[in-house]
Amino acid sequence: MNALTRTPLRATCARQPNAVFSARYWGGGLLLALALFALLGAWLIEADPNRQNLMASLAPPGGDYLLGADHYGRDLLARLAHGARLSFGLAVLTLLSAAVPGTLLGILAAWRGGITERLLVTLADAVMALPGLLLVLLLIAFSPGHYVPLVLGLSLSLWVEFFRVSRARTATLLIQPHLEAARLLGFGIGYRLRRMVLPEVAAQLPTLCSFALATAVIGISTLSAISVGLRPPTPELGSMIVELLPYYAEAPWLVLLPSLLIVLLVLALQLIGGRINT
Amino acid sequence: MQGVHWLGRWLLLLGVLSGAAMGSQARTLSVVGPWEIVGIEPARSGYIFSRMQVAETLTTVDDQGRLAPQLATSWRVSADGLEWRFRLREGVLFHDGSALTADGVARSLQHARAGHGVLSQVAVTAVEPAGDEVVLRLEHPFVALPAYLAHYSTQVLAPTAYDDQGRVKALIGTGPYRLTSLTPPLQLTLERNERWWGDRPAIASVRYLAVGKSETRALMAASGEADLVYSLLPTSLGVLRHNPAVRTETVTVPRTRLLKLNVASPFFSDLRVRRALSLALDRRGMAGVMLRNERLAASQLFPPTLSGWHDVDLAALRYDPGEARRLLAEAGWLPGDDGILHKDGVRFAVSLTTFSSWPELPVLASAIQAQWREVGIDLQVAVGNSSEIVSRHRDGSLQLGLLSRNFSLVPDPLGTLLQDFGPEGGDWGAMGWSDAALQQMLDGLSAGTDKAERIAQQQGVAGILQQQLPVIPLAWSELRVAVSNDLDGLRVDPFELSYHLSALRWAE
Amino acid sequence: MMSRLVTARLLQALVAALLIATLCFAMMQTLPGDAAMRIAASRYGPDAMSQQLAEAVRLELGLERPLLTQYAASLMQLARLDLGYSLVSGAPVIEELKVQLGHSLWLALLALALSLLFGPTLGLLAGIRPGGWVDRLSLGLSILLRALPPFVLGLLLIMVFSLWLGWLPPAGFGSWRHLLLPALTLALGLAALSSRVTRDAMAEVAAAPYFAYGRQKGLDGLALAGRHGARNAAIPVVAYLGLQSVYLIEGVVVVESLFAFPGIGHALVHAIIARDVPMVQGTVLIMGLLFIFINLLVDTLCRRLDPRLNAWQEVRR
Repeated sequence: MNALTRTPLRATCARQPNAVFSARYWGGGLLLALALFALLGAWLIEADPNRQNLMASLAPPGGDYLLGADHYGRDLLARLAHGARLSFGLAVLTLLSAAVPGTLLGILAAWRGGITERLLVTLADAVMALPGLLLVLLLIAFSPGHYVPLVLGLSLSLWVEFFRVSRARTATLLIQPHLEAARLLGFGIGYRLRRMVLPEVAAQLPTLCSFALATAVIGISTLSAISVGLRPPTPELGSMIVELLPYYAEAPWLVLLPSLLIVLLVLALQLIGGRINT
Repeated sequence: MQGVHWLGRWLLLLGVLSGAAMGSQARTLSVVGPWEIVGIEPARSGYIFSRMQVAETLTTVDDQGRLAPQLATSWRVSADGLEWRFRLREGVLFHDGSALTADGVARSLQHARAGHGVLSQVAVTAVEPAGDEVVLRLEHPFVALPAYLAHYSTQVLAPTAYDDQGRVKALIGTGPYRLTSLTPPLQLTLERNERWWGDRPAIASVRYLAVGKSETRALMAASGEADLVYSLLPTSLGVLRHNPAVRTETVTVPRTRLLKLNVASPFFSDLRVRRALSLALDRRGMAGVMLRNERLAASQLFPPTLSGWHDVDLAALRYDPGEARRLLAEAGWLPGDDGILHKDGVRFAVSLTTFSSWPELPVLASAIQAQWREVGIDLQVAVGNSSEIVSRHRDGSLQLGLLSRNFSLVPDPLGTLLQDFGPEGGDWGAMGWSDAALQQMLDGLSAGTDKAERIAQQQGVAGILQQQLPVIPLAWSELRVAVSNDLDGLRVDPFELSYHLSALRWAE
Repeated sequence: MMSRLVTARLLQALVAALLIATLCFAMMQTLPGDAAMRIAASRYGPDAMSQQLAEAVRLELGLERPLLTQYAASLMQLARLDLGYSLVSGAPVIEELKVQLGHSLWLALLALALSLLFGPTLGLLAGIRPGGWVDRLSLGLSILLRALPPFVLGLLLIMVFSLWLGWLPPAGFGSWRHLLLPALTLALGLAALSSRVTRDAMAEVAAAPYFAYGRQKGLDGLALAGRHGARNAAIPVVAYLGLQSVYLIEGVVVVESLFAFPGIGHALVHAIIARDVPMVQGTVLIMGLLFIFINLLVDTLCRRLDPRLNAWQEVRR
């Protein structure tokens, strides 16, 4: 610890841009690889992800099945590719439908104040006070097995996090001296919001986003764990983990591989968006 | 990082301390099962209190499934078959110290009759005390009555157990164990009833914990946290296999996983289609892979444990997808461009409803989906609530249901069959299907006949069901129990009426 | 100012109670599926469940009455501060909630305490030198913990602490030893997020001129972090706390079922599945009120930590 704190400040600063660059580089590369796997994998891998072969149940990696087979003897690689496409798609959809309105409403609330803020905060509080699970279960009950209510339900409880953080951030920003100064100098509110508030708020988002993405995938898997969510045999990473969990002792890779894909996705986003320097 | 170190040391210290504290007390037997305790009303979670031997019934079964005395020592029926007399055991005390009387028993049976249990399905006209006997009068003869009195919903509770409105307010039974605390829905603790009528149990205190996940149950057995763990999934046995402190026992139970078909629907009204659907199922594959025991593949509806009902001479259900395709084609179902069968412009796309109360059902559903796809049937699987099968049976919207049926609801399978294959079908049995010959046999069995005729009728029932396939049997069932090597005297009851805790003792 | 805040929150609580009761009632009515059937299935189990039982339940509970009558009856009951009886177990809702909420609160408190022990500590250390090895390590760790579904994490913890080390029981409840593993499972997930939030805030502080100035004055990095960093970084962390507490109380169904812990999440899921309206109303009501209380606490704390927020609010009014 001591050696660390004694390092001259200048040296730390000098090393950072490089670190940022290489982290972004790695993150971007990783994301690209994952995206390619999710988008092209499903086409390139010929095996049908739903075709069963009970004789090959829990076949280990190698041999006929590159990454092994699940308990039904379905090709794990094919299921991972199809699952990644669906999971990442659902997660991104959930994220967008939570982050965009959440952030914008947060800024709006902090900036307008008064009745607008009060209303929005009450709405957010109401959503928070209602158990998220209730909302999701409710939406799903109307059209079981479809992903639209799944996405809607999840983003309905996720947007609040974005709303609260961006509102709190905007609130502290608005009382900063340089924003006051900008106002006094006659810069319009649009300019101030766009140029001074939005970048600062946006800087907070990557961490939130990458974790919200994980929350979305995990949320879907949690729902499968209590038997609501997507219908079998749809391959989806979260529900694959749930489905394969009973085999954790015999064939641990079956649980680890889909988990690994989620970890890699979150890692890639963290690396790209991670603010190492401000 | 410091926090982690600190926590580690703290845990170690406390672990040592509490370990030392535990050794000094008498050991509590820890029983774990998947069933949650919904309430003390016998019709609800009564099976838990029966299995844990808190409350008892008039009759019970022995290990061979034969009816045996419990609170009633003997019973007899009048010549016309309308009056049953049950002689009560002498010197039995309830947990509150009051004595078991014919009055009290009659009151408990009245409660069961008025309530939602199995006794409400029997045409009982009166329940009366008569000296040291209880008399049940029937509208028409029914030989299976004593078996109904082994069902948990007919538990005998003390008169003080009921409140003014006749609801159960406290669980005061006669069993070898007395309830000391109850934390619904997960836990109850018991202590030995020193005044039980049987042999004094060796173990003084017991705890039951409901643990929903089979993986957790297995880990509890493996770590020594639980001494006796019921209903393990075959996939969870892995962590126990090489554990020297735990052994596992498996018994086959009278339960069958089956497909319920809406025979009234245009898809399944043709017997050839039903037979094709059955032929398209790789039962051995499913049983071997999902249930880890190929012998559980159902060759007929009744498992071998149901002696008298299981017919060894019956031609077994086979797997022959080629024959299935041929039968389907014969019935007019021909493959379309998408590989799915068509007939008169209708696609063979049907939906299967199942539920996850039994975790193997959704797993089997996915396998069925893939196997039927091979013969050209597009099956949608919907995993929902168990009530959906009953409600969709009633409104006629059910196409297929996958369920697990217990033929020892009352120890006599006749109880289940009367519910499932009556003239209007049954919530968990036939749908849009009935058979006059079968009906006659079931009526004959209810009224009672001599033994040879009885067996003939029972196997006749099995034969008709095998031939007509109103339900398609998939796999029989096993009950897997993990038991600590510290325990001796385990008896696993295939009918799951009792855990026989009173016979258990700690190994020396 | 403080008292105005409290009155406002109290009023909010009252309106919330009415809204929640109405909303729950409406939701449970609009859900597809026959309520009597579902209640019967939950009460008697699938083996014994039948149409006759469902009809008996319908009559017993008066589910065939007009909706408006049922709604009025439930509101009247609420007005008497009576949460009613569970339709499934028949026990008073308040009794069931006492047990479940009690267990959940202990679990949540311990999880929160553990997450505060790990998260912000690691975040502060990471934020002092962004890009350093502590930062990288904590990033990797938090990604791993956050991206693993809680039941996988819980299973791993059981295997390590119960099976290999034999320190803690794998499941059950009733003593603090049973509480540790589920609390740790939740805490690690929470710490993953709060460590990153703290780290970002701390990194900002570390980059601020006054921090560099303090360093050049020769102040020790850790001391500086404690003096300036912790206080500034605390605001977002406390703001998250409010969100996390709620997540802890309801978002733990899977953890509860893995560890066989009788919490409120488990109770709520079962109540929704069984269409147990009084139980859902009671659970949601208590959780809503708890949320309002936690929010009040968080607001007050944030004001304490950053007096400027107060000034800002004053100007707004």
